[in-house]
Parts: sequence; structure tokens; C-alpha cells
Amino acid sequence: MDFLEGIPWGIIAPIFIIQLLLLIIALIDLSKISDTNGPKWVWALVIIFFSIFGPITYFIIGRKQG
Amino acid sequence: MTAILETTNLTKIYGSEQAVNKVSFSLIEGTSTALIGPNGSGKTTTLSMLAGLLQPTDGMISFNGEKHADIRKHIGFLPQYPQFFSWMTALEFTEMAARLSGMDSRHTKIEAQKTLEFVGLGEALRKKTGAFSGGMKQRLGLAQAIVHKPKILLLDEPVSALDPVGRREIMNLLKSLQQNMTILYSTHILNDAEEMTNQLLFLRKGELVEQGSLSDVKTKYDSPRYRVEFASAQDALTFAARSPWKVSYEEIFAFIDLDNELPEMNAVLGYLANSGLGIRKVERQTSSLEEIFMKVARQE
Amino acid sequence: MKNLIVLFQKEWRENTRNFKILWIPLVFIFFGLSEPLTSYYLPQILEAVGNLPEDAVFSLPEFTAAQVIMATMGQYQFFGMLVLVLGFAGTISRERKNGTGTLIYVRPISYLSYFLSKWKVIGTIALVSVWLGLLTTWYYTELLFGKVDTADFFAFAGTYSVWILFVVTIVVAMSAWLPTGAAATVSLLLVLLVQIVDSLLGAYWTISPWKLAIYATQWLTGSPDATNFWWSIVVTLIAIVGLVVFGVWMSKRNASKTKI
Repeated sequence: MDFLEGIPWGIIAPIFIIQLLLLIIALIDLSKISDTNGPKWVWALVIIFFSIFGPITYFIIGRKQG
Repeated sequence: MTAILETTNLTKIYGSEQAVNKVSFSLIEGTSTALIGPNGSGKTTTLSMLAGLLQPTDGMISFNGEKHADIRKHIGFLPQYPQFFSWMTALEFTEMAARLSGMDSRHTKIEAQKTLEFVGLGEALRKKTGAFSGGMKQRLGLAQAIVHKPKILLLDEPVSALDPVGRREIMNLLKSLQQNMTILYSTHILNDAEEMTNQLLFLRKGELVEQGSLSDVKTKYDSPRYRVEFASAQDALTFAARSPWKVSYEEIFAFIDLDNELPEMNAVLGYLANSGLGIRKVERQTSSLEEIFMKVARQE
Repeated sequence: MKNLIVLFQKEWRENTRNFKILWIPLVFIFFGLSEPLTSYYLPQILEAVGNLPEDAVFSLPEFTAAQVIMATMGQYQFFGMLVLVLGFAGTISRERKNGTGTLIYVRPISYLSYFLSKWKVIGTIALVSVWLGLLTTWYYTELLFGKVDTADFFAFAGTYSVWILFVVTIVVAMSAWLPTGAAATVSLLLVLLVQIVDSLLGAYWTISPWKLAIYATQWLTGSPDATNFWWSIVVTLIAIVGLVVFGVWMSKRNASKTKI
């Protein structure tokens, strides 16, 4: 894994921070919302396991707007 | 006795279906009017046109004599199933409603709060409407309809979705509003109509088939029926068997339906007096609104 | 116009509480970050993942700073448009469908205020998101690839902003006109498909809103033809005004379709 050594983490870190933020926001919203399109636990898995696209898909089609 | 709102030949046609056909009536300031009729008779369509949601196909609505007026400024409207933004609190929604109706923003918060307390939502001011029960939504619906103190209140089946207790409470609220507002409400629960109405409007298949005050309508459709209370069931039976009129009986009572009240009633009384039967009481019965409704709804 | 403020506040509050003012900027910033980073580290990434034969001569193109910024815009032109269209296609149609519009439409509102309140909030979210993303990409590009002239960058981002505003206006107007599903479909056709058609057949004309993205990128490498550029801007602005008028009219006409 020596290729990891050359990577300047200070530059790369923001991209992970943003993914983490999206994940947290999506999970907070999921926990507060009364109803979703489809079972909540499925959306929890989608949000957690599909980085970046999981939270986006949840926000676009998962949450019931009203 | 000035008409605050008047409709002239109000008509709504969808394709080939006449939802509302040439309906003309007027609402007198400070009175309550019940709009009754079977399902699909055009009650909601009529209210929607008055609320400015639907454009009439033909006819006219005038407010205080002003023709084709934008009466949205003067009304409060409560749909049968009011829908709210689930992310808003009751207070936020009521305040927004007041401001959109043109109320000065300096007063809206206080007014919204007072109104919510009036409808019994004082405890739920800061609750999100998404968590509201049906009864709470109905109350909030009433609050948003009256918060800006409109001159006219339009209510579509305001209590029909509620349980008896809720219904009682909302009816009492509405009655207390009667003094300050002109109310037009639709209902299919005729007890409610009987309880709070100066004017009845009967709709059937989109047409206004009857209108008038509760007593006028009752007089018009009343069919004379007398109830005679006998001393015994045997006497009632004897009377029913022998008398020349249309008589039905039940235990110690006999019911006489007359076509021609005045002359016939004299004969009935004479017959009873000479019959030798034990008579305790003779009384005239008035038809309930329910019975009148059935009559009007059935006649073609 | 008094109720514009009230409706604007409602719209803003809604987009705060459904987190759109957070997640949409984050998505645009994400692409603004990931594009320069993946371009820069592509060789290492390939090396790490790849079972490339030892002696494979694999020459990667050397990206210029301008190309990296264009690549970010390329992501926006697909994923960004998808997010904007799908995220906002229900803004008016949903209020009709679920009946929440009813208690707004029975009040003496002007439909111009109603439409503009939505247009302004969505436009703000979209523009702020795009600018945050582009500024991020600019910063990273300068860090990893080299300098991009400030004036060039602002000319590029400014031009692209007009296109974004055009897209937002399409989405809101379609939502005023059609049910949510159809509004999203037609918006995507207008934004994505017409763009492809324009780039395939568009050699025959030079003035079109769908050419703005290309003209925007031309600021990074030189400058677009002034006449074509300015006329495209003018045509786009006229189209935006036209779409607003159409949207206001449709909001009013369709108010009667709200669930009662």
C-alpha cells in the first residue's frame, strides 16, 4: 500500500468530508421524516452504502414531500 | 337585509356534464345558509366557484352589489379535507394565511395565536402539521379560514369527518362565529343544518330545487300528520280498522295522514269524539328536515 | 407584490427544512472537487486498481487547467441538470396534487408573486450551488494544474450562470404547466436532449440558449465570437422572460386543478 504515502491528505480530505456531511444530513432527515417512499430501513442502507449517490437518490425520490 | 353576496345563474359545465346549472341565490349579511343535497349534487363545485378556485362557465358572482368581484379578499374557505404543508407548524401556517389574506404583518402573530387558541389548538401552536390528527387538521382549517376576519365564511362539510364530540365542539365554534360573519356551509348531516341556519339551499343534480328559510321550507313540504294516543292498544287497533282515513298504528298510537288538512281534520275530530274510544292526546307532528330532504331529493 | 415576501419566506423555509439548501450545494461542490482530483490522480488510481501489464505503454493525456474546469462543467451539464430538474420539478405541481396549494389559491395572491417566489428561491439555490462548485474547482485546478486567469474564470462562470437561470426557469414553468412526472420529463428533454440535438445539428445556427455552455467554456481558452455570444445571451434572457410569463399564466390556469 505504498501508493497511499504519496497522497497529500490535506487536499483529498474535503471530498470525504462532503460525502460524510451528505450522509449525515440524509440520515438526520430520514430519522425525522414521518414517511418515505418505500421502507425506511432500505433507505438507511442506500444512504450508508452508496457513497454520494445514496444520499442524493434518497433526497430526490426517497423522501415524501409535503 | 342587504345581500352581501349574490349569485346569478351560476353555471359550471365539465364537458357534457352540468355540475352546477343556473344557480341563483343571495346571502344576507350576518346570516347562516346551509347548502344541502345528495352526493354529487354540486355543493363542492358551487363553493369552489365562490372561493375563486373554479372559473364559472357562466353566470355571475357579486359582492356587495359589485359585479364580478374578486371575492377572495372577503372570504375564508375551509375545504372538506384541508391539506397543510407538513413541515410547517400550526402557528406558522396560520400566520402565513393571515398575511396572504392581506392582514398587516404587525398583528398576524398575535391574531394567529388567538385564533388557534379559539379553535382549541392552544397546546399545538408549535407542532408540525404533519403530525396532526384529522380533528386537529379540521380545527386548523377553521383557524386559517377565520384568522383574517373575513366577511364571508365558506365551509365544505365542516364537521362530517369528525367524531360526535369533535362535531359538537366545531358546531359550537361556528355558532359563536355567526354574529360576526356571514356563513355558507354545505352539509349532508341535516341535524347540523337544522341547528344553525337562516336559509336552506337544496341542490339536486346541480340545480337549486328549493330555497328559503327553515320554517318556510318546512311549511311548504310539511305533510299534515296527526298522532292520536289511545288509552289502550286495542282502541288504537279498532280506530285503525274502522276509520275511513289512511291510518297506521303502533302500540297505543295511531297516525293519520291527511291530504286536505283543514276540512278533514274537523271530520277526524268529530269521528274521534263519537267513537267511544279512550283518547288521551291528539297532536300534530311536523316533518323533520330529514324527511323533507328525502322528499325534495326524490321528486323529479 | 406584498405577498411576494410572504411566499418567498414560505419557499425559503421549505427548502431549509427539506435540506435542499444544504445538499444541493454540497453535490455541486463534490463534483467541483472530484473532477480536478480524479484528473490529477488518475495515473495513481489506475496503477492502484489496474492489472496493467508491466510494459504497457499507457500514455495519459496531460490535462490543461482550462480542460479540468470544462470537465467539471461537463459533470454539471449532466448530473447537475439531473439534480436541478428532479429536485425541483414538483415545486408547483406537487402543491396542486396534494392539495396544499388550495389554501394559498383561495387567498388574494397574485400568481406572478407565487411563481416568482419559487423562481427566486430555486434560482438562488442553483446559482449559489454552481458558484460554490465552480470556485472550488477553480481553487483545486490552480493548486494541481496551473493558473486560470481571473477575468476568464468570471466570464466563464457568469455566462454559465445565465444558462443555469434558463434551466431553472424551464423547470419551474414546466411544473406550473404539467404534473410532476411530465414536468420532469419535458424539462430533461428540453435541457439534455435539445442540447445534444443542438450540438449535432447546431452547425447551422450560432445563436441559441443551448450554445451558452459552449460559449462559456470558450472564455477559458480565448473568447467566443462576440456577436454570437451576445445575441445568445439576449435570446436566452428573452426566453427566460417568456417562460416566466408562460409559467405565471399556467399557475393561474391550473389552480383550479388543485385537490379540494
